[in-house]
Amino acid sequence: MDNITIAIAKGRLGEKGLELFKNTDMEIVREEDSRKLVFKDSKEKTTYIFVKPADVVTYVEKGVVDLGIVGKDVILEENKDIYEIMDLNYGRCRFVIAGFKNLYSVKKNDVLRIASKYPQYVQSVFENRDQRIEIIKLNGSVELAPLIGLSDVIVDIVETGNTLRDNGLEILEELDPISARLIVNKVSYRFKYETIQKIEKILGGE
Amino acid sequence: MRFTTISEELAVTKLKKGIEREIEGYFESKGFSLIEPRIFQKYDEYVRSNFRQDSSKTVKVLSGNSRIFILRPDITTNVLGEIFSKWDGEPPLKVYYNSKIYLNKPGGKILENYQMGIESLGDDILDADKEIVEMATALMGTLGEPFILELGSSKYLDGFFREIAMNASDESEIRELISKKNRYSLRRKLQSLQIEGTILDFVLDMQGNMEEVIKMAYSHEINHEMKEALDELENLREFFTDKQMAKGIKFDLSMLPDLDYYDGIVFKGYCQSIPNKILSGGRYDRLTEEFGVRVPAIGFMIDMDLVTRIRNKGEK
Repeated sequence: MDNITIAIAKGRLGEKGLELFKNTDMEIVREEDSRKLVFKDSKEKTTYIFVKPADVVTYVEKGVVDLGIVGKDVILEENKDIYEIMDLNYGRCRFVIAGFKNLYSVKKNDVLRIASKYPQYVQSVFENRDQRIEIIKLNGSVELAPLIGLSDVIVDIVETGNTLRDNGLEILEELDPISARLIVNKVSYRFKYETIQKIEKILGGE
Repeated sequence: MRFTTISEELAVTKLKKGIEREIEGYFESKGFSLIEPRIFQKYDEYVRSNFRQDSSKTVKVLSGNSRIFILRPDITTNVLGEIFSKWDGEPPLKVYYNSKIYLNKPGGKILENYQMGIESLGDDILDADKEIVEMATALMGTLGEPFILELGSSKYLDGFFREIAMNASDESEIRELISKKNRYSLRRKLQSLQIEGTILDFVLDMQGNMEEVIKMAYSHEINHEMKEALDELENLREFFTDKQMAKGIKFDLSMLPDLDYYDGIVFKGYCQSIPNKILSGGRYDRLTEEFGVRVPAIGFMIDMDLVTRIRNKGEK
């Protein structure tokens, strides 16, 4: 088996990914409360590094790691040249367009202002639509934007829709479904093909 | 490459020039002649023959009477224009180039990429396949690092899609999933379309060891075009096995060509230390039709910036 380096998105999604390796050869060995960003398994064959979600895709594309575990939302936003080989079937949610009722259709002939953490993705969604848009890039609390008049609608990921409802917004359109994915560098995929297939099996692939 | 001192820059340039001479010598020893591509191309012509390429990536230049030109974004189509304006398909023609391409990069920058490559036009298909892929393998072998050359054929999947009634957007979505090696979403998509029991269920298994892949692929072949694709690959497999050059060569029938114009054998070369493809090429007979005569045509390009980077590392 080849040595493998895996980039893990910091946070809940990445932690859940690590659980999938539990009780296998690849299980991570970590000290309690460590601030380290690099860990290995007990045989030191697998290296895990912890990075921000958006950087997982970059690390994989640049080939400094072989594999990455990251949400589909980040993959769509980053749109990099990688293989996306597995749906890990957790972290399910959905990209949606949300806003106040009716406003969406009224804006047909006007510039639609869209607030989002995912500007590239929004651009790609509206690329072939007959709608002029202005994208407002935010870094959090996107739901706030329509409430205070910063934007007409938002594009964001939604799990239950509770946050939207609490803020008086509704889903106007459902876009791509999201979940955690296993991504791989194209060159690693070719050079470490057998090992990567084994990892797919460990992660529940057929 | 970026340099901090001029002496470093000159040293690397010298190394690169040396490699270029080496490769030029190799190409010439195989009977290939140098061709120099034009730097400007007409924008409309480019868009017409590369409708699936992202034309926003091309670097535009306005001429004095406000016609739009682009700096050449790829060399093959460029030299073909030159060649077919003066050549009618006979006798076979072998050319090589040593040039740059220009593309827009994010942040307003312009990418200059040094490429060398060869084109073999009008030669017998099976012979030319062997010659060109052997030369590609030989060049990868000079890098001094383990390499993999992956070989596929665009005709295999094209042949399949011709047999099955499917609307264009579903087909392109399925192709996209295959190209991302995204087995799981592919399966879900096929279920939603109720397409089951076709090669699409297996196409992502058709990669790796040459012998296993070709055997599996033959068992799923359903028409002449698919069989032809496999016969051409099998021709190469036998050739490389006989020459004991099979190490490092893999088949991948789920590989989709990067450029629209490939129809037949396609291949890419990788080295372990570089995260991008170093070499890529394929057969593009169909493209020659656009220039007036359909002739067998195959070629490849090798990224000289990456080659220099690898060899420079090796020197140190």
